[in-house]
Amino acid sequence: MKITKWISGALTAVTMVAAATAARAEGGTLVMLVQPEPPSLASYLSTSGPIGLMAPKIYEGLLDYDKDLQAVPSLAKSYKVSADGKTVTFNLQKGVKWHDGEPFTSADVQFTVMEVLSKIHPRGPNSFREVESIDTPDEHTAIFNLKNPAPYMLRALSGYESPMAPKHLLEGEDYRSAPLGNKPVGTGPFKFVEWKKGQYIRLDKNEDYWKEGLPKLDRIVGRFIPDASTRTAAMENGEVHYGAYGAIPNIDAVRLREMDSIGVTTDGYGMINPMALIEFDTTEPPFDDPKVRKAVSMALDRQFLIDNIWFGYGQPATSALSSNFGATGLHDAEAANYPSGPNVDEAKKLLKEAGAEDISITLDLIPYGEDWRRAGEYMKQALGDIGIKADLRYEDVPTWLKRIYADYDFDMNVNYFYQLPDPVLGVHRHYGTDQIRQGTHFVNSSRYSNPDLDALLVKGAQEPDAEKRAAIYSDVQKILGDDKPVANLFEMNFLTVYDSSLKDHDTSALGAYGSFSEAYFDK
Amino acid sequence: MSRTARRLRYVLKRLLQALPIVLAIVVVNFFLLHMAEGDAVDVLAGEAGSATPEYMAELRAKFGLDQPLPVQLLVYLKNVFSFDLGYSFRHEMPVLDLVLDRFVPTLLLMVSTILLAVGFGIVLGLLAATGLNTWRDTLISIFALVTYATPLFWVGLMFIVIFALNLGWFPTSGMKNVAAFNDTWSWANIKDVAHHLVLPTVTLSLFYLALYTRLMRASMLEQAGMDYVTTARAKGLTENRIMFVHVLRNALLPVVTMAGVQVGALIGGSVIVESVFAWPGLGMLAFEALFARDLNLLLGIFLLSALLVVAVNLVVDIIYSSLDPRIEVG
Amino acid sequence: MTFWSLFKRNRSAVLGLVILLAIVFMAATAQLFFPEDPFRLIGKPMSSPGENGFLLGSDSLGRDVASGIAHGAKTSLLIGLMATVVAVGFGTIMGGLAGYYGGRIDDLLMRVTEMFQTIPSFIFAILLVAIMKPSIESIVIAIAVVSWPAVARLVRGEFLSLKTREFVQACHTVGMSDIRIILGEILPNCLSPIIVIGSLMVATAILIESGLAFLGLGDPNIMSWGFQIGAGRTLLRSAWWVCTFPGIAILVTVLAINLVGEGLNDALNPRLRERT
Repeated sequence: MKITKWISGALTAVTMVAAATAARAEGGTLVMLVQPEPPSLASYLSTSGPIGLMAPKIYEGLLDYDKDLQAVPSLAKSYKVSADGKTVTFNLQKGVKWHDGEPFTSADVQFTVMEVLSKIHPRGPNSFREVESIDTPDEHTAIFNLKNPAPYMLRALSGYESPMAPKHLLEGEDYRSAPLGNKPVGTGPFKFVEWKKGQYIRLDKNEDYWKEGLPKLDRIVGRFIPDASTRTAAMENGEVHYGAYGAIPNIDAVRLREMDSIGVTTDGYGMINPMALIEFDTTEPPFDDPKVRKAVSMALDRQFLIDNIWFGYGQPATSALSSNFGATGLHDAEAANYPSGPNVDEAKKLLKEAGAEDISITLDLIPYGEDWRRAGEYMKQALGDIGIKADLRYEDVPTWLKRIYADYDFDMNVNYFYQLPDPVLGVHRHYGTDQIRQGTHFVNSSRYSNPDLDALLVKGAQEPDAEKRAAIYSDVQKILGDDKPVANLFEMNFLTVYDSSLKDHDTSALGAYGSFSEAYFDK
Repeated sequence: MSRTARRLRYVLKRLLQALPIVLAIVVVNFFLLHMAEGDAVDVLAGEAGSATPEYMAELRAKFGLDQPLPVQLLVYLKNVFSFDLGYSFRHEMPVLDLVLDRFVPTLLLMVSTILLAVGFGIVLGLLAATGLNTWRDTLISIFALVTYATPLFWVGLMFIVIFALNLGWFPTSGMKNVAAFNDTWSWANIKDVAHHLVLPTVTLSLFYLALYTRLMRASMLEQAGMDYVTTARAKGLTENRIMFVHVLRNALLPVVTMAGVQVGALIGGSVIVESVFAWPGLGMLAFEALFARDLNLLLGIFLLSALLVVAVNLVVDIIYSSLDPRIEVG
Repeated sequence: MTFWSLFKRNRSAVLGLVILLAIVFMAATAQLFFPEDPFRLIGKPMSSPGENGFLLGSDSLGRDVASGIAHGAKTSLLIGLMATVVAVGFGTIMGGLAGYYGGRIDDLLMRVTEMFQTIPSFIFAILLVAIMKPSIESIVIAIAVVSWPAVARLVRGEFLSLKTREFVQACHTVGMSDIRIILGEILPNCLSPIIVIGSLMVATAILIESGLAFLGLGDPNIMSWGFQIGAGRTLLRSAWWVCTFPGIAILVTVLAINLVGEGLNDALNPRLRERT
């Protein structure tokens, strides 16, 4: 089958016209919540959340994605995939300049992908694992030569996931400590101006932005406010206009959404796809027995967690894959051998069969906020009902990371993973035998290893045909539903809370991780 | 020997004595921090999303975290003695720059807090002492105790709700209006910062108010029982004159001492008030450094605050000796 | 005059004592009135006080706030007491030895004390809890570690002045051993300021515990007031009762302990005694 896809330049033209007509509402300063303060703005080597909020306003990717997750042009005007799927040619925009005035060329693309992203980016080595080389026949053409077809790669080219970095500022430097990390220079709609540690990051409008008439805002300021209640108050008071990724706790969002001046949306997380889950240590009793893992999964009332801790935002998990993969046909609702509601009797029966009655375990909780503690407290009670005595453990981030991913010193661990826009990018890392990588964070810490599943995962990654691919992942979901090395809890809905006069901040599938080039205040 | 020379010698002696303390702080905290699980690289890698063990090993080598502990300590000490506090692992910035950057906001908050708490504490303590065992005394004592016993973050959040949201008198948080970007020394900026300073200062000073009120009251009572008061009375001085000239002057001494000691201790900032009001002080910096295992930064903060405490204590002692000529330094 | 009749003269101190006894009673009988585990989800979440049979309302998971306060009283008092006992014990030893022996020992011990006083104390407590991992033991230790220097300084001062007094000198002449002089002669004579500082320390310890819990450093398996406040603070605007009642519990307890402490001070401090 021949997969060829050209994106017409017309789309850009449309945007330009729209920009011109909306010019009346231009200007103003957008203050957004950034929490916690990022370690740097080097999005080419870290996918840290707060970096993701600021950096995509400065750096751009080859592509962007619209609300339906379809690719639209960004630094690449268009792209073309060869018949065998092994060559992808990107046609780059002309006249794009870095914020320091240097021209952006195909050499930057080659350097960024080959030297930076596929080497030191946390997910880059996976996204670009099939890329053998990149040819640059001229300044505006970059040809990716692949070992195998990699359809998922084309979903990982946004300014957040794979930002293009300036070769002239990184080459020859230690990428990790280059001054660029704290003083970013990109091609995006906003230029870095100042970073006042402990207070804010200031970005000003890029007057020479290559998209005519954009950006509309004069300035974006990212503010750091450590306390959640204070963030909410600042939002209510109009001191900040935008908070995403849980910056405003759900309980407050539920209250704020009643106000006319504030909007709340769950849009803009389609490419993130967060899933709350429990990881089990499958190598030792009691959780080496799938029956015990299933019993735990069955004992929990997922809807209770969603309603009382996340205040209604979320859907109970129905399989190892998020139902958001339904859009690409990968989520198999039929395979869903997931419990629909809690079933204490059934769970007890399973435990009895496994000979695991009256056991004591420790339940570790991800140290990313109070909600997870509440979830742990609920689970402790629910597990008590089926005869599992759970002790809660809540440690700080470094201690927890080391325990779960380096020392493997845990029984069960509450966590959440981003499933990302494709299972290859976000789900495989959880289950593959090759993903048992001691010392690497957020991979297969359950140490589940199943050769049948491994074979399916390899096939799934390379299969270009949508229907065949769906069949493969249906099998994957069956195996994982039966074995449950990880018990998915619920599909999380992150919230974006914003000043309702702020418009067009959500034009991209990336939501808060988008460029905000079209955002404006309609006052 | 002249008084000045004696003083100078005293100051030198005190500074020399302080040296081992500061050194011990560095060493103890160095080992304490290394007892904590995980290191800065774990945090950075965890935040980044994922990183290979090779990459993490490289980072550790770069930060020197792969060296044996004693070597790391020696390297650190060597740097400290050449006045180099090293680099923050997390911020990729010199520790000194980071700390100095936060020093001004910390000082602003702490000095205004202490001034407010001491000022009001003296007045309240005086009122309580002069009306000993009357309703005024009881009321003041209860008020001071209530402000002390109310958890700080609760007061802070309530102030935000009342004074920022409901009344709209003050901004909720931060140190300045980020939409404005006034020049640092412009009048507009000074006013803006002062406006932001009010709520955190009042919140924090409520906590210390009780201490100064009680100290002042007790100190007044103590002095009132002294022989010189009886003598003054016998000489026929008016009660007011005795109270406000003789007793007050002497009663202020312990209050001043305490204020000095506290300014020193407060350099470490107040994590809770800084957290609630997003005030960019050293407390939050230290707090974040701890959880990021940013060892150099945390050690740097401890070291500098220790030096400041030593310095402030010294200054207090000297002031003390000028207030009360009976006390001789040296 | 007897101690009690002296103490009784301070009416607010008596009031403080009554409140304190009531709290202790509440802690002791928590199991009787609230036999369920206070973590148990027993009703409709976020019920306001009086609603659905919850005297003081329920929290976001449907736990009884009143039960939490009753059971939490035990934890909070225990943390306060244990931390104080450890701090006072250690501080007394350090200060006593320094004051009694003087010279090099004094120098050394006081340098150590100063060192602990030079580190910002709340941050240091956070550091200790983070290193030892949040648990009731680590919280007690952390609070004790940041509290003992004040005791040591006080005790040293007392020892310094007492050891020059005639009755101590007399003990030396009859050949009494140091340990007997310290424990049998000097220590009993400086007990009153130690008791006063200790009583106030209990209050401070309870406040520190709530501060740690606010920052997420409480023991996740044990109900305490700090835990309730930490868990309820995000609800402050939508369900005020969840963290307000434990806050009031802390306030009242700290207040009561302080009043008692002041009463002790008045009753035990001889100079004040003569005057009032």
